This record gives sequence, structure tokens and C-alpha cells, in this order.
Amino acid sequence: MNAGSRKNTLTPYLWLLPSILLIGIFVVFPIVIVFRMSFSEISKSGVIGGFIGLKNYKDAVSLPAFGTVMKNTFWWVLSVVGLSTLLGFIIALVLNQEFAGRKIARSILIFPWATSLVIQASVWNYIIKYEYGSLNNVLLNLGIIKNAVNWRSSYQIEFIWECGVGIFVTIPFVAFCVLSGLQSIDESLYESAIVDGAGFWDKLFKITLPLVRPALSVSTVLNIIYVFNSFPIVYTMTKGAPANKTDTMITYLYMLSFYDRRKGPAIALSVIGFVILCICAGIYMMTVMRKEDSES
Amino acid sequence: MKKMMRNMMIFAAAAAMTAGMAMAAHAEVELDVIICQYGPNTNEWFLGSGMDGSNFVEKFEAENPDIKLNLDVVSWNDVYTEVDTRIANNNAPDILNIDVFANYANDGLLLPVSDYCPEDLYSDFFPSFIDQSVIDDTVWAVPDLASARALFCNADIFEEVGIEYPTTWSELEDACQAIIDFYDGEIYPWGVDMTTDEGQAAFAYYTWGNGGGFVDENGEWAVNSDENVEAINFALSLVENGFTNPNPATQTRYDLQDMFAAGKLAMLIAPNQLPTYVADKGGDINMVTVNIPAADGKASSSVGVMDRVMAFKDDTAEDQDARNEAIGKFLKFFYDPENYVGWVSMEGFLPAVNSAVEALVEADPTFEAWLDVLGGCQFYPTAKAEWDQVKQGVIAAEQNALTGSDIKEELDALQAQLAG
Amino acid sequence: MKTEKLLPRGRIALLVISAALALAAALMSLPLYSFTASVYTKKSANTFVGDDKYKEVRAEVEAEAKAYEEKGMAVTIDETVTERTNSKGKTTSLVAFSIQETFRKNIWSFLNGDLPSCRVLQIMLLCALLGVVCTLAGSAFCLGQVPKTLSRPKRVLRGAACVLFGLDVILTPVFILMNNHTFWRKLGLYNSELITDGKEAFFGKLDRFLFGGSLGDGIDAALKNLSADHSPLVWGLMLLFALAALGAVQIRFGAVKKTFLRVLLYVFVAAVCIVTLYPYYVMLITAFRSNAETLDMYFLNMLPTKWIWSNLTDIIRRGVPRFLANSVMVAGGATVLAMLCGIPAAFAMARMRFRGKKIFLGFVIMSQMFSPVVLLIGISQLMNILHLNDTILGLVLINAAFNQAFAIWLLRGTFVAISPEMEQAAKIDGCTTFGSLTRVLLPMAAPGIVTTLIFVFINAWNEYTISTVLISTASKRPITVGITQFSSFNMIEWQYLFAASLLATIPVVILFMAIEKHLTSGLTSGGVKG
Repeated sequence: MNAGSRKNTLTPYLWLLPSILLIGIFVVFPIVIVFRMSFSEISKSGVIGGFIGLKNYKDAVSLPAFGTVMKNTFWWVLSVVGLSTLLGFIIALVLNQEFAGRKIARSILIFPWATSLVIQASVWNYIIKYEYGSLNNVLLNLGIIKNAVNWRSSYQIEFIWECGVGIFVTIPFVAFCVLSGLQSIDESLYESAIVDGAGFWDKLFKITLPLVRPALSVSTVLNIIYVFNSFPIVYTMTKGAPANKTDTMITYLYMLSFYDRRKGPAIALSVIGFVILCICAGIYMMTVMRKEDSES
Repeated sequence: MKKMMRNMMIFAAAAAMTAGMAMAAHAEVELDVIICQYGPNTNEWFLGSGMDGSNFVEKFEAENPDIKLNLDVVSWNDVYTEVDTRIANNNAPDILNIDVFANYANDGLLLPVSDYCPEDLYSDFFPSFIDQSVIDDTVWAVPDLASARALFCNADIFEEVGIEYPTTWSELEDACQAIIDFYDGEIYPWGVDMTTDEGQAAFAYYTWGNGGGFVDENGEWAVNSDENVEAINFALSLVENGFTNPNPATQTRYDLQDMFAAGKLAMLIAPNQLPTYVADKGGDINMVTVNIPAADGKASSSVGVMDRVMAFKDDTAEDQDARNEAIGKFLKFFYDPENYVGWVSMEGFLPAVNSAVEALVEADPTFEAWLDVLGGCQFYPTAKAEWDQVKQGVIAAEQNALTGSDIKEELDALQAQLAG
Repeated sequence: MKTEKLLPRGRIALLVISAALALAAALMSLPLYSFTASVYTKKSANTFVGDDKYKEVRAEVEAEAKAYEEKGMAVTIDETVTERTNSKGKTTSLVAFSIQETFRKNIWSFLNGDLPSCRVLQIMLLCALLGVVCTLAGSAFCLGQVPKTLSRPKRVLRGAACVLFGLDVILTPVFILMNNHTFWRKLGLYNSELITDGKEAFFGKLDRFLFGGSLGDGIDAALKNLSADHSPLVWGLMLLFALAALGAVQIRFGAVKKTFLRVLLYVFVAAVCIVTLYPYYVMLITAFRSNAETLDMYFLNMLPTKWIWSNLTDIIRRGVPRFLANSVMVAGGATVLAMLCGIPAAFAMARMRFRGKKIFLGFVIMSQMFSPVVLLIGISQLMNILHLNDTILGLVLINAAFNQAFAIWLLRGTFVAISPEMEQAAKIDGCTTFGSLTRVLLPMAAPGIVTTLIFVFINAWNEYTISTVLISTASKRPITVGITQFSSFNMIEWQYLFAASLLATIPVVILFMAIEKHLTSGLTSGGVKG
């Protein structure tokens, strides 16, 4: 602590160096390339041309499907993050109870998390097929329905399915974050609350929720980023059909780039998405950081 | 920090050395080849043991020891992503097998066929196929294989219901109604595929059958012609009347083929490989092939689809002549009837070269009829630069119309976009 | 102690049980099931009422109806004519005849059939009977006694009654659903060639149950379009049994509410588990189906009729083990590298004070905000410069980099949660900062490190988009890309796709289960202080 101030100021940065190098080379460099490309002309087959200013951005904003896609993306992120947080929280509360088979139940909950999204999306795509899907097969063979049901009869319903699969794969992550938060709560807090005459809801809102909130906020911010950038579910299940009405931003710009071959606007759109995410995360960071400052 | 720098340098040097050694150890010319995956056998044939226990790459390299092939079989889902990314990085493959070529040619990325294709091989291609790959009087790609489409009908259903095979649109509507009545809607009479994957085919089936199409007689874009609007409205009316599969925007042709194989679909416009496909799926369907129905009083037209092989420029290659020669050798070996016949018949396609016809007809006499169909086929205007935009545009227009928009407005908007 | 309360409650419970069972017996006597069997159908296209063909068909149908009447069935002939004018102005006509028999049955009549659902009903009745016996034997002369003070056999008897009535509650929907399965399905479809061997026996039983065996050999055609319906009152049976079970619970435990909440908890957990496992059930079942059966458009079989084990050998032949090995290398390498870079960074963030700390944290989280799909071109360009295209090393580096944010955030939380006193003590003993990290902090932070390991491993294991573009040699593909050879838009081989998916999922799940305990405790420290 006293061996010369220069060394002291440098040491932390040396510890950070490997990480900075890794991120700098393999993440930031490609990001810089994407930014540069967003101001360049790009041919249909991908040849990068000269600087054309903001034309790509103007094209992107004036795309006919732009509004629909933004709206879809909003609902996608909101419903998947929101509902998976809510359901994950409830499931975590239940799994925190003592009961026979709790360990098995927890292990089962891990499954969706351990399976890649491409596979999950394919399985659900197979499950809800009308003509031979597994859901119709099981329900018919159990005698619960009389005739095969068209589970994807309109694009709105298909979008709901996509959100449902998104929620399904996100719940375990939230549930385990909350569960870990719950386990760290001291039992004596509840006991003294019961002595004070607190009911179930009192305990939930006055003890449990405040104490797991930090765990929830970490999982939420990471979820927002991952869900916003999630690609395989929508791409595997509908490819955005009909006419981009079920696309989210990421799948839309992929279709734009490799199907419509309008690579300029696609790149610009990705930068727009990045900025939106930055703003959201920035707001979050500020609130979290402020709280942390007051802690230390 | 110094230590880290040193380590990194060592690492970089090692990487460079490995790369250098790899270069030195290999033959004179290396060719990067990308092949699309046509079916479960493609990978086996090129890289596995699907060619009499050996594979294409092994055999080729044995015959041409001075050429090394880096051949990659890529799924159709990913091939555009991979190729476009490589092009953006100036790392295009040397040889590419894909469906479209105009974008690459217009960006000046392709070698003219005359630069590398041996004369005798060039004259072996069907001339009408070669014509499909011409921009500004230069041939940019050679045909790889083709398929022709016709209407497949489930003969047992037609017999049971007691109806004739439809040749016109109104007969088609009658047949659909009769099938619906007879089976209480348990069997879909007609398959429609307006998906993001192949919705342009549906556009072709109906507009070409009504004297319309993507382009007018001068070869200019004319997607919003009255014939086209009428034709697509007819297709939409079939969907609306419940004559078709329930989800045309997401049920691909392969979904429809599966239904056809299971006897759930009575009629389907499909390529000539359908019988092979149905047999693979364990289906036992008594099927009959007829012309695609046309509007009353209009001529029926069949739809042909053709894929291509093209070679990219590589300015970094030291010996351009040797490279061109190697590409020629690749093509020569690929189109050698001994290899090519196996390739084409394996996935049930139609050939693109004359020398393969004899062997194919000998193996399967039904081939001859298909070659006739192929002779009268119309192809997509893939040589036009705006083709991608038109293709996606008509698909979006169809899908929007399926969810309630007016098809005329949609096509008008697309045409305006193309003009402006 | 509470005997005076328990006794009247016990009496009410006994009353409830007997009333519920009596009502159930009454309900079962009502004719709740109605059947319409088109024992014979004939459709004739291009047939007009009155023409020769019509007469011919009509005569045929009438002869058929007579045959059924001779067998002692009361049948009616149903005739529908569909006339349409086609596009050429010609009238078409479709005549459909069917011979129908309509009849009703009550639930008791299911007792003496030998259909699967009849067996269930027999078990249900047995349970109810035994339940009554147990209740009576368990509570005779001691109804008001507090459960804890009862003799052991009585406790067991009362408990058995709860279980038996509970079984009835569970079996009722099984019985109803089994009947639905038997009667509601369009049985005509069973005539297709995909029928399995058990068909004959099953239809024989159905014939004996529904028609007293009068159909004989003509069973196939006769059962075409059998339709059955049951009144929703059938579900009342379940309610009544549930009431009986509640009564039994009151007698056994003296408290209904607590037990009820417990049952609710198990029901919820079971529901969550079933939904979660369902896709894996689908994977497993489909992985062993034949190609044709994966597209079972008549929904004939819930399970594969024949388990095709060769699907597994096929995917192994087509390179899946190689892909799995590649994935292990990529995910393992990326995890190690991400930890090697992430631990020092997280340590610095947790233990040192310096300028730019917040900027670094922001920088780290920002690095996650571009989807890899978007960065494809940049990454591939970078790999060209570094000569790492088409190498597993390239994938390792990329995956490690893209997981830095996760690693640093989680590890930092873990380190912050551990008190620095131990390290300071170690330093006073002459340890370097590095030594205090490796010898003191890391062992203490093991759970958090395990958690992070898992996160990074999973993310790298599941990465798909970058690998498709970066890797062009088939033998270097990771599993996520490798399985695309089974599913492209021009052909999906569901059985291979799911077999490979299972193989790809199992190692990760096993890994997860092995360290599940560490995982939750690790997340604790990471989460709370995050």
C-alpha cells in the first residue's frame, strides 16, 4: 500500500488487461466495423463501398415494416421478460418450500436452460404443427379434444406462441436467481414477523420482495439484453411470416440482409437497436450504481 | 504486461507458421467449394461414403493430385449468410453452387464462364439453360441441375369422388368443391405455399397460367398487371373457400408434400422429385401427373427451377491460368457422366447436360417425359438485377393479402418501388 | 383436548362420505353416454335421385339394413343429397347413405365390458368399496378421538381411506378420458393401412360392449363414423369422490385446510414439471420413430409402434460424436479462457479502488448489446486478419469474449460478498496479492466460480450463428451447427434432429444436476450483491 503511487495506480489496470484485450479485440473491433459499415454503401451481395452518410438510416426508418417490427419487438421483450420474471418468481417461491421431491423438481426446472434455443424452437415448432404435431397427438390420444386443433390459425396466435416459448426458456434463469436470493434470507426475519402478526402477503411484500430485488434486477437486465437479441425462436417458428408481422428486430434485420438483400438498412437497423439497448441499460446502470455507492 | 506482449507475439508467430506450413504441405492449387445441401444424400456423396464407398472429394483429388478441394456442404438455411459474409470479407469461395447469380455478376465478382469452362463441356449444356445465365451477352454461370414442376393428383381420391383431373381454373374449383363435399373437409383438395421460402413459386403458377408473370413481353417488370391481380385473387379465393391447407403463409412445400404423402392432400404442384420424396416418407400414393391448370382459355405453362455453378474471381491468386484450369478440371470431373448421373439421380433431379440424358433415361424411362416438360418450362427472371427484391416483394404482397390487404394495392406499390 | 369439537365434525364427515357415494351411485345409473353408430355408409358421386345408379345403390343399402335388423339392431337409413351446379352449368349430385343405430348407456354398463376403460371403472368401484370399509373400521367407536392418540391400526385404516378415495378422484378423469379416446376418435380412419396389430382384438371388445357382439366380421365398416357423447354431468363423479376424500381427510387428520394446501402445492409442482418435461418427452419419443411415423397425420400412435434404435446409429455414423467432441472443446476452452481473464478483472473490481471502474463495468455490459447475428461480418473479418477462420481456436476466443460480461458480473458479486479480512491476514503473513487470490479467495469463492463456469459453458455450448459462418469444414463443426444437416428448409428429418438434440442436451443436464447445489448457493452471492 506504500510502495510508490505510480505502481499502485497502474496495478488495477494490469489486472483488468486480459479481459479488456479479449473484449476489445473480439467484441469491440467487430462493433466498430459494424458502425463503419452503417455509413457505407453495401451491395446486394455484400461488397462494401464508399461513405454515404445517413442514407442507410433514412432507408431503415422508412421501411414499410419498420413500425410493425418495432411494436413486435416491444411486446416481445415486455412479455417475455415481464412474464418470465413473474412466473419465475412464483415458481421459485414454491420450490423454496420444504417438500418431498424438491431436489428432483429443481433439477427438472434446469432442463430448458440447458438446451440450446435452436433445439427448443424446433421442438416447439414440431409440437404445435396442426397436421401431425405432438400436442394434437397427445390431446387426441388422451381423448381431451375431439378433433385436431389448428394451434397456429393466425399470425397473432403464432406470435403469442413465440412469446410463450421465449418465456418457457427464460423462466429457469429467473427462478434460480430468485431461489438463490430466497435462500439467503434469514428465517428469523419471518419468525419475528409472524410474532408481529404478519400475514402471507405482508411477509411477501415486506420481507421477501425487498430482499430478492437485487437478484431480480441483475437477472432482469441480462434478460432484457438476451431477449432483445434472441434470434432462433422467431426464425425457426415463422421466419417472420406473414410479411414480417411476427418479426422482431433481430430476425427482421436478418431477413432484410440475407433474403431481401438490403444490407445497408439492415446494418443501420442493428445500430439503432444497439442504441435503444444502450439507453435502457444506461438508465438501469445509473440506478444500480447509485444504490451501490450508498452501500459502500 | 511485457510478458503478455511477448506471449502474444509468440502466439502470433506460431499461428503464422502453422498457416505457412499448411500452405507448403499442400498441393499447388487450392479450391474453396461451397455446395448446397439438396437432401440427406448430398453430404454423403461429396464428403462421406455415398459414392461406392468413396466420395467426390477423395476421387477428384486422386485423379488430380495437384488440386486440393476444400469442399463444404451448406444447408440452404445458412448458405446465403455464409457466402455473403465471405464476400464482405473479400474471401469469396472459388466455386459456388447456388440458385441465383445476378447479384454476384453485377458486383463484378464472377469469372465469365468462357475463362474456365472447357469447350467440349460448354457445348454439352442444354442451350436453353445457358441462356438463363446471361447478362450483357456474357455467360456467368453454368447450370448444375434442374427440376420441372407439374400438378400431382392423388388418383385414388379422384376415382372415389368420381371427378376428372382439372385443366382449367373453373374445373379446379369444381374438383375442390367435390372433394370437400365427399370427405367432409377431412382431405384438403389443393395445396398452396405462400411462405417466405418459396412464395414466388405460387406467384408464378397462377400468373403464368393467366397470361401474366413477373415481366411483360419486353422483359420489363410488370408485377401489377391485371392478369396478375386476377390470378392471385383466384389463388386467394381458393384459400378463402377452404379448398386449401389452412396456413398457406407458414406451410412450406415440404409440409404440403408430407400431407400429400399421407393422403391428406389431393392435389399439389410439385417438382418431379415428388414420387421419390413420397416413397422416402413411407407413403404409398397412387399419383398421376397432369399439366398445371390455367385460366379458362389460357395456355398452361410449367415452371422450371434451375440451380447453377459459378466461379468467383480471386485477384490474390498467383497463377490465374492454373486456377482457371483447376476450376475447369473440377467442372469436367463433376459433369463426367460417370459422376454426374449418380449426383442427379440421387436426389431425383433433371440433368443439365446432354451426355447424361441417355444413361438417365435408361435407368428410369419416366425421365423422358419429364425432359419434355422441362423443354417447355418457363424460368424465373433470375438474370435481372432486381430479382431478389421482386421475389421478396411478391411474397410479402401475397402474405399481406392473406391477412386481408388488397392484392392490387400491394402489387401496385411493389411496381412503383421497382420503377422508382 | 378437542374431542368435543372433533366428534361433531367427524359425524358430518361420515355423513358427507355416505351422501357423496350415494349420489355417485345415482349419477352412474343415469344414461349419460349416448352413441350414434353409422354402422354402414355408402357415398356415390354423380348420382341423381331417381336414376338407375341411385336405385342400384339404394337397393344395396336396404339389403344391408335388413341384415343388421336380422341381427337384432334397431337401425334407420339416413340419406343426404348434395347438389351443386359446377362452372360449366352442369348439375352434380352426391348421394350419401348411412345406416345408423342410436343408443344410450349408463356408467354401470361399463362394468361388464373388457375395454381398457372398463378395467379402470372396476378398480374405481373396488377403491370406493374398500374406502368405505376402511372408514368404518377405522372410526368405529372412536370417531371423536384425537388422531394422535389413536392406535396404529386405526390410523393406518383411516389413512388408507384417504388414499383410496383420493385414488378414485384421480381415476375418474382417467376413466372419462379413456372413453373419449375410445369413442370420439374418427374410427373410420383406423381403416387406413397404418393400423397396428392390436386393432382386431380392440374392435372385437368394442363390438361386444356396444352391440353385444352382433356385428361380427363386419366390424371395420360398421364402426366407421361412430360418434359418442357424454353429458358434462360425468365430471360430477369426480366432484363427489373429492367430497368423499375430504371427509376421509377430516376423519384422519382433523384438519382439512392444511392438507388441502399441501395437495395444492404438489399439484402446482407437478404441473410445472409436466410442462417443463413435455418437450423432452417429445424429443425422446420422436427420436425413436420411423421417418413415416414422425409425420403421423392421423394421430394413430402416441408412442412409436416400433422403437427404431438405428436412428441413433445413423446419427452417430453421420458425425454427431465428432460434433459433440468439437462442442466440448469449444465450450470447455471458452470457459477456461473466460475464467482466466474474468477472475483477475473481477478481483480488481471487487478489491481495488481506481478511476474508471464504472466506465469499465459499463463497457463490459455494452459489449453484450450487439447480437452476434449482427456482428457476423465484423467477426469474420477479424478472423481473416488473425488467420483464425475455420478453426476451433477462433470459436474459443469469440465465445470467451462474448461471455466476459457475464463472468465478470457474477464473479465480482461473489468476491464482494466475501469479507477481505482473510486475504489481509494472508498478506501480513507474506503472501503476494496473487497468492492471496489463489490460496485464500478462490477456494472460498468456489460456489460462485462454479456458477460462472456453468453459465459460460452453457452459452458457449449453445452458440450457433457465429459457428455457421466461421466454420466451413464439416469435421470442425460444433453440435449446434452439425444438426442443421438434419433440418434445412428443404427437408427436416425430425427423428434424426431430435435424436441428435437429445445427445446434445444430456451432457449439459447431467453437468447441471451434478452441481445444482453449488449453483444456487453461487447465485446467492452473485445475485444479492450484484
